[in-house]
Order: sequence, then structure tokens, then C-alpha cells
Amino acid sequence: MIELRELTKRYGGRVAVDGLSVRVQPGVVTGFLGPNGSGKSTTMRMILGLDAPDQGEALIGGVRYQDLGWPLKTVGALLDAGAFHPGRSARAHLSALAASNDIPGSRVEQVLRVVGLSDAATRRAGTYSLGMRQRLGVAVALLGDPGVLLLDEPVNGLDPEGIRWIRDLLRGLAAEGRTVFVSSHLIAEMALTADRLVVIGRGRLLAETTVAELAAGGDSLEDAFFRLTSEATDYRGVGAS
Amino acid sequence: MNRYGFRQAARMERIKLGSVRSTWWLAIAAVVSMAAAGAGVGLGYRSHTPVATAAQILNNSLGGAIVAQLLLGALGVLMVTGEYGSGMIRSTFAAVPRRRTVLAAKVAVCGGAALTVGLVASFAGYLGGQLAIRGTAIPAAALTDPAILRAVVLTGVYLGATALIGVGIGAIVRHSGAAIGTLFGLMFVPMIVAGLFGESGIQVGRFVPLLMLLNSIAVTSPVPGLFAGWGSALLMCGYAAAAVLCGGVLLRHRDA
Repeated sequence: MIELRELTKRYGGRVAVDGLSVRVQPGVVTGFLGPNGSGKSTTMRMILGLDAPDQGEALIGGVRYQDLGWPLKTVGALLDAGAFHPGRSARAHLSALAASNDIPGSRVEQVLRVVGLSDAATRRAGTYSLGMRQRLGVAVALLGDPGVLLLDEPVNGLDPEGIRWIRDLLRGLAAEGRTVFVSSHLIAEMALTADRLVVIGRGRLLAETTVAELAAGGDSLEDAFFRLTSEATDYRGVGAS
Repeated sequence: MNRYGFRQAARMERIKLGSVRSTWWLAIAAVVSMAAAGAGVGLGYRSHTPVATAAQILNNSLGGAIVAQLLLGALGVLMVTGEYGSGMIRSTFAAVPRRRTVLAAKVAVCGGAALTVGLVASFAGYLGGQLAIRGTAIPAAALTDPAILRAVVLTGVYLGATALIGVGIGAIVRHSGAAIGTLFGLMFVPMIVAGLFGESGIQVGRFVPLLMLLNSIAVTSPVPGLFAGWGSALLMCGYAAAAVLCGGVLLRHRDA
């Protein structure tokens, strides 16, 4: 389980995440929705201890990320599709991270097979397409067979087949009892993948709901999402005329 | 063991260091540049009159360390900034959240590798010079001579320390270009400044890395006014420790 308590982050004078309190339960896929710039990635980075919160805390199974004994065996994260050195092969990248948490080399080959990169494993990761980079990121997240998965925009750059693959993978992982927390700005995709939804705008919690509840208002899911977030964006376009 | 530690982090860093090409190119270039400089010096002195002394050949044939220090310094810098530039650092800190454990592992792995390469490069410079003067009247410099061996070994130590200064600057600056620029500046600018003071410049000059290298570390007997070879090499290690400690303090508090 992931628990955010009054999580707050400021950059200069701007508040990126504002007193966010959320519990993410195991066994279901929880979608983390919000417009661009709403604080999703910042929240994810704070959960992983990469950014320090100004106030509040993020706990994983009651423990701060920094205090985990074997981080990769507890939490698997896909942060962005570029968190690797472009000159290093996928296999070397995974092997290095595996070594840091005493994960056996056989597991590296296993995750390469799961994400379909076995044949490209010796290629330098910088030569990968965006979709392959995302798959490498997913391989890193799965490496330690963790009970908690954190994915920031995993479907970015994936083709329709890749999107379906991610969707089935995440639902399968949740069905095994894991906690799966997936951010996206694509409401339609989340409607298909997630069971529960956490919606934020301008760093504040707007709704903690289920896909079914959000759609129950009568209008489309997309309209419901816009209604929720319309007051909470830092930008607004007007119709082209 | 119910928790990761330095050992795991060091294994990660070893795999990372060995799995990018730049590491190998920089190491090979460091050895080749010293061997070439050594051989060039030896060849240049072959027909020199009066006949060169063993010390002259040795002192000059280790001069390739000027280039090698930049290459190995860059190796140390890239070990940190290469991760910031690519985003790899977030994967690293997610795997090992205790950042000073990561830095300690980088120091150990980079220091070990750079010391090894530095010693090989230094020996290659010595050997290049000696091979190039074979068959001439110039006396050979034997490694059994403590002064000769000291110069060759300390030059290797100097090169290893330079790489660690690179790691420290990399952790402070975090941007490859800026960090390498800073490192090169720190290597050359103080030497120029010390030169401006003329004779009294030696008071400052004995603390300047490049002057220590050329006049105290990589020579059979240090120029008067400078520290002994061991002292200069230790001072370099002190600079490296200071740079790494600064990097470690900053690393702890900054967002990745």
C-alpha cells in the first residue's frame, strides 16, 4: 500500500504538490489522473525519495522509501523512458541495477523475455525506439518482482499493441494482489486500465473515485474529467476562429 | 543481510563503468598518450648532445601525464555527470536511495580503475622512453632505482587522484561539459597564476597540481621549494577527498 500524507512540494514560489493525502490500495490498478503540470510526476518522484517533500511524507507499507532494505524488491518504478545511459545495453543496464539489490542474473533474462527485448538486449539502449525504451523501463520496474508498482505515463510512445500489452500486464499484476499506481493524462486509457482513480489538479486532490462512479454522472467520462479539472489548470486555450 | 549496502552499490558501479565505451576509450587513450610521449622524448634525445642523463629521460618521458590526467579526470567526471545527463541517476537512486553509499561506491570503483590505468599508463611512458633510447650512450633508468620507481608509481597515484577529483567535481556541477571545463580550468589556471609571481610563485606553485606533477611527482628529484614526491601525491589525494566530500554534502540535499 502507498500512503501519502499531506504531501507538499514547492519549487521557488510555485506550489507543485499541495497537501496531497491519498491511500493507494493493493489488488487494483489505481489511475493517477490530472492535466499536464498538475503534479503527478513530482508526486511520483517524492514517493521514490528522489525529490524531498517540503511537508508531509510518502510511505510504502508504512516505511519511507529511503528506509527500504531492498528498494527494487519492494517498489518497481517506471519514471520516464530515458532513465538509462544511452551507451549501455539493456542487459548491462538491468544487470547493474540487479546487482545493487542482490537480484540474480537469471531474473534479468526473465524480465527481458517478459517485455520482449531478449533479441535486442545487447544493443545500446540509445538506439531504441520510444516504445522499446518504455519496455526497458517496464523491465526495470519488474526486475525485483516488487509488490508495489509505480508507473509514470507508461503508455507514452507505445503503439496500440504496446498499449494493450501494458494494460494486460498491469491488470495481471494487480490481480496478483500487488499495488499498481499508474499516472496518465489520458482519461480514455485510464478508463480501460484502472479500477480506482485519483484525480489531481494544480497539485491538489480533486477526487478519489472509481471509474464507474465518475462515469455515473450521465455524461461521458471525458466530460466528467474536464468538469473536475476545469478550474485547476494553469493554462487555457480558446477556440480557434 | 536484510539490506543493501556498499558491496551491492560497488557491484552496480563496476558493471556500469565497464559497460560504456567511453570508459575503455579514455583508458586506452591515457595509456597510449603516455607511451607515445615517452617514446617521443626518447627518440628526440637519441642524437642529442651532450648525452642525456637517465633522470632527464625519465622526467620528460612521464610528461604524457599532462594529457593522461585530463583523460582520466574526464573519466571520473563522466561517471557522475553521465548519469545526470541521461536521467540514469534516477534509476540509480531508486535502486540505492542512500546517495552517499552510491558516491562511496563510485569513488571506490573509479579510484581503483583509474589507479590501475594510471599505473599502467605511467609504466608505459617509462617503458616508451627506455625502449626509444636503446642502443645509445644514454644510461638506462632501472626500476630497481628507488627514485625511478617512486616517480613512476607516484605518477600513477596522481592520475588516480585526478579521476577522483573528477568524480567530486561531477557530483558538485552535475553537467558534463561544465564539470570537465571546471576540472581543466582547475588544472591549468592556477599554474598560469603561479607563474605570474615569478620566483616567489613557488610558495603557491607547490600546491598547484600540474606543477607538482611536473616538478615533484614525475621526476627523480623534486625541484627545490616543492614538496617531496610523496607529499605532493598525498596533497593530490587530499584535494580529491575535499572535492568528493563537497559533492557528498550537496548530493544529500538536492533533488535528483
